[in-house]
Amino acid sequence: MKLAIRFLIIGLLTGWQLSWAEEITVQAAVDRNVINLDDVLTFTVTIEGTSDFPNVPAPESEGFIILSGPSQSSNIEIINGEMSASKQVQWRLAPTHAGQQSIPPVKIVYRRKVYQTEPITVIVNPAPQTAQPVPGSPATPAPPITTTARDLFLKANVAKSTVYKGEELLVSFELYYQNVRTYSPQKLPDAKGFWMEQFPEDRTPIVENVVMNGVAYKKATIRRLALFPTTTGELIIDPMVITCEVLVPRQRRRSMFDDFFNDSFFSDPFFSDTKTVEVRSESVSVRVLELPVQGRPKSFNGAVGSYVIESRIDTLQTRQDQALTLRYTVSGSGNINTIQLPALNLPANVELFEPSVKRTINNKGRSIRGAVAYEYVLITRSSGALQIPPLPFSFFNPASRRYQTSTAAGFNVTVKPADEKLAAQGAGFRKEEISLLGSDIRFIVRDNPNWQRIGTSVLSSFWFWLINSLLLLLIMGSVVFRWWANKLATNSIFARRWRAFNRAQDWIKAAQEQAGQSAAVFSSCDRALSGFIADRLGLPTSGIGPKEIQRALQEQQVDPELIERVNQVLNELEQRRFLPGEVTESESQNLINEITELIDRLIKVI
Amino acid sequence: MKLRIIWGLILGLLLTVNSLAKGSADFYFQKGNESYLTENYADAIQQYESVLANGFESSELYYNLGNAYYKIGRLGKSILNYERALKRSPKDKNIQFNLRLANLRVKDRIDIPPEFFLFRWHRALVQAFSISGWAWLMTLIFLVTCGLVVIQLVLNPVKLQRYLRRAAITGLVISALVLGLLLERQHLENSHSYAIILSPSTQSLAAPQSGSTELFIVHEGTKVRVLDRDVDWLKVELIDGKQGWITTRDLEII
Repeated sequence: MKLAIRFLIIGLLTGWQLSWAEEITVQAAVDRNVINLDDVLTFTVTIEGTSDFPNVPAPESEGFIILSGPSQSSNIEIINGEMSASKQVQWRLAPTHAGQQSIPPVKIVYRRKVYQTEPITVIVNPAPQTAQPVPGSPATPAPPITTTARDLFLKANVAKSTVYKGEELLVSFELYYQNVRTYSPQKLPDAKGFWMEQFPEDRTPIVENVVMNGVAYKKATIRRLALFPTTTGELIIDPMVITCEVLVPRQRRRSMFDDFFNDSFFSDPFFSDTKTVEVRSESVSVRVLELPVQGRPKSFNGAVGSYVIESRIDTLQTRQDQALTLRYTVSGSGNINTIQLPALNLPANVELFEPSVKRTINNKGRSIRGAVAYEYVLITRSSGALQIPPLPFSFFNPASRRYQTSTAAGFNVTVKPADEKLAAQGAGFRKEEISLLGSDIRFIVRDNPNWQRIGTSVLSSFWFWLINSLLLLLIMGSVVFRWWANKLATNSIFARRWRAFNRAQDWIKAAQEQAGQSAAVFSSCDRALSGFIADRLGLPTSGIGPKEIQRALQEQQVDPELIERVNQVLNELEQRRFLPGEVTESESQNLINEITELIDRLIKVI
Repeated sequence: MKLRIIWGLILGLLLTVNSLAKGSADFYFQKGNESYLTENYADAIQQYESVLANGFESSELYYNLGNAYYKIGRLGKSILNYERALKRSPKDKNIQFNLRLANLRVKDRIDIPPEFFLFRWHRALVQAFSISGWAWLMTLIFLVTCGLVVIQLVLNPVKLQRYLRRAAITGLVISALVLGLLLERQHLENSHSYAIILSPSTQSLAAPQSGSTELFIVHEGTKVRVLDRDVDWLKVELIDGKQGWITTRDLEII
């Protein structure tokens, strides 16, 4: 159901559209099929059959250039509910060369359909001899037709034929014409040897009616220039070139050009065709005189015109080291751009900075006027009275033909001593720093220094580490020593253990000395061995027999073979001590050796 | 026997090379001084720099180099070398004076915010001696302390025992303090945390890439603290606390 409605709507819309998508007709036409080379052709494209006019592209022909267009007009009529609409698009074309030229079809796209006009052929005859282009005219894509005809000319009007060097020479260009629609400047005159200032261009110049040589003209001043000669002698102002669009009658031949302007037809509004014409002025010669030497002031700097100089200062009371602003303004008429101010003559204690120069030029009036402002910044480096002398400015006035001098007023400035606090703040220095500023750096060291390898420091020096680690070891050693000494003094078991070996050695020594006395030798040997073991193991000194020693050694897990040997020796000593009889020297020596050996072995395990 | 001769030869050779190298340093130093005396400062700089190129340095060399740079108007290089000299001889009055004079010519006069007096004293204390000064002072105090400890512990004189113990502990504490100062001084010197601007003026940017926002401009000779590094950009801090990035081309670390 919905689908059906949708189709219905689409169908209605397309049907409505179709009813309007009628066939349109496009036609192209030219006003003439045979023209001269200097004629202008009107090319018209007409569209009929729709009020929704499509765009019409410009004709593309190699034989023609477009002078103007497109201009469009449309016409819509509704008669008895029937609408008829037409549109005309026009271009003005100028032929580029003689012969048979064609304008190719113009393609128009309307509702995705392409319509074409018929191609048009135009026969272009060569231009008549009277309208040959002036030789040397610029070869523009649309070569304008140059005329020097007396009905249209440009006149260069110089105010004077003799001027002084640097004097303002006013040149105005006047267009004399009878029927010109528009003009456009092509080239300003070359004025070699002149400095040129332009007055603003007036797009709608005032038109006067004048009669010259019995012919009525319209006269318009289209350009004004101010020329300042920079050299002397005969100087030439070259022609100025403009192009004009001249109104010409339709269907008329150029051969009638000379007399149609006088025709009554001329005022007819039917004159709607135009022609582009190049117009150039005559060259003008000017004589430039050197400025008179007589009466030339010393301060003259080349300025020509009429000027006034003024001076201004921002304050008449200042402090040392503070900046002053001094302004000179030269204003008047003349070539402002070349004005140079003479050098200032200031005392040596004044620091003068490069001036900022500002020029303003007014070209709105009848002649070039303007002003140049010099702004100097100066700083006084000492206190007291500062005299700024008057500044004379000389110029040559061409009006009076005399040199004149305008003088800027001088000033007397009071310079107070620098405020100390201010100076310190201003420069950012303290007082003692200022006194330092004047002094020079201290002298170099001339003795050979103690060289050091780059990148090494004392912290990587061998001696530093050696000394300090030795000292550290010494301290640690002392601490250990004190701990040992204290323990030896207070802990008897530790002391006995520590001294056991020495005491055993003492007994062995005693036994060696007692050789021969058997009881004493055996007793000493017994004390050496059993005393040593008792001291090392912390056993009581008295009442200790071989059995107790054997048990204690077994507790220490001493090698059983060694225990057996110790036991044997101790038992033997026990028995022999109380048996009568002598002991031989070698026997006692063997005994001592054995005991020494046992002690040596024992000290390693207990 | 043969081995001993070879060892002796090697040792002798090493000593000779070392003394020869030191001799060349003396030679260039004196040549530099001669050039300086004849006001040929550019040549003097060349001679002094060749001592550095030979791998030797001293505070006197840096001081003379700073003077030569000062004379030809290279303020940044001058201050850089004075700072290097002062780093090695912090108490040298001549270096202090010339550095102060050079600093007066620096365009940037940044007001130093007043420092808390304890910090100021502490810094003055750390800078009272150079690294080797602190090192040998520490060794000396340590030696004395060590003597006291040995007498007290080994000889153990009964009468003096109490005094000796106090003196030894005091000596140990002082040694540790001096060691601390030595390490701090060492850190101060080797952290390379300060730099001097060498180009006449350089822009400090907000980020380490050219074209980023310009924060402030510093001029030749200004001392800045180096905070960070990014390839060839250094993040620096002015004395007044402003921070920004500067290309390494425009400054040199002291």
